[in-house]
Amino acid sequence: MPTRTITLAYRKVLDVNSPKPWDKLVLADSYRELRMQAQLYNPGGQYRTFGELLHYVPGAEKLHFLVGGSIGGYVQQLKGVMPDIVNNVGRYFLKFTRYQFELINSDLHDPSKHQVAINFYTEPLHWHDTIASYLLVSDATAPAEANGEVLTHLFQLQPYLTIHSLRPAEPAATVG
Amino acid sequence: MGAASAPVLLAACGKDEVTPSTITTTTTGTGTTTTGSSSCTVAPTETEGPFPTHTPSSYVRSDITDGRTGYKLTVKITINSSPNSCAALAGALVDIWHCDAQGNYSEYGGTGMQSTNYTSVHFLRGRQTTDAAGLVTFTSIFPGWYSGRATHIHVHVYNASGTSLKVTQIAFPEGTGTALAAVNGYAKGLSGYTYNKSDNVFSDDTAGAEIATVTGNTTDGFVLTMAIAV
Repeated sequence: MPTRTITLAYRKVLDVNSPKPWDKLVLADSYRELRMQAQLYNPGGQYRTFGELLHYVPGAEKLHFLVGGSIGGYVQQLKGVMPDIVNNVGRYFLKFTRYQFELINSDLHDPSKHQVAINFYTEPLHWHDTIASYLLVSDATAPAEANGEVLTHLFQLQPYLTIHSLRPAEPAATVG
Repeated sequence: MGAASAPVLLAACGKDEVTPSTITTTTTGTGTTTTGSSSCTVAPTETEGPFPTHTPSSYVRSDITDGRTGYKLTVKITINSSPNSCAALAGALVDIWHCDAQGNYSEYGGTGMQSTNYTSVHFLRGRQTTDAAGLVTFTSIFPGWYSGRATHIHVHVYNASGTSLKVTQIAFPEGTGTALAAVNGYAKGLSGYTYNKSDNVFSDDTAGAEIATVTGNTTDGFVLTMAIAV
């Protein structure tokens, strides 16, 4: 079957129920940063939630970007390995170099309402085949072996993981 | 398998997935899949780690240049406490941000993705804590300008627990022999420039209280000093 090239996006949602130490650090630091930076858009303190700020205060959408500056160090600690998503032998296998921080909801007086997401975008993957509900993919940047063999991963789509972009297969004649 | 495994998106059972609250996760992490489902995903089965460590906000740095080119500018801001006879305020957090030589802020790229190997996405933004003399020092570049505004640096001062004490802007001296004249608006020149007296933020500052002292030259760089009472 002709090989398409895809990238995946994983939206990692973090909130008070997130169990891991990394999640808790990202939540705590982004909440602290939001409380600081939100004061620029909320000088009278009349708004309590991120949703209210976004709705009533022009420019408050910049808080996504401004608060994102507080957690870049944690993303770097992942060393380019996508968290949470494993292949069918239980290993982390997706590499990312791009991400986007996002505030979902927050309450300036209640840290338990703080909910954020980090959207991770993978490097390109070749999508070779689909076996039952599994996708068979390989690293699109890895050189093929001399005999044409490529190393592959089998994995399943799951909640919050999606195909972010797709490049159609090239015509068979040029692929050889 | 096959057609029977349609509800893929509702059947993830890996304990580390981010799942909606309606999905219970019971896998022990041994790599086995939950019985009774043909479309479960495998749980992570790897040596534990990496171990996250607390990392300060990427704003906390003295050099905020991030590879932006321009004439070097050292920014020295002293914070004084007006309720306390203008004594130096130690331990205050001071954020500054300003535009680059072309007049652009780093937030303009903020709605898109950022790359982990391009760490300067928050360029020309920084945070420092005042010392015993109330002083913070940043290394940056002389700001450019954009239509409608005089050259300026934004400042947000917080107390040690992050409560806002003051939001203000620093203006630059104008006229012959000033740093502003020496930099001459970088590549843009100063045609169409908005001077302090016409600026919508600084025009009411007839006493010049918001104007910093700026010394230096384009070869050695400039030093800006400013005292801000909060």
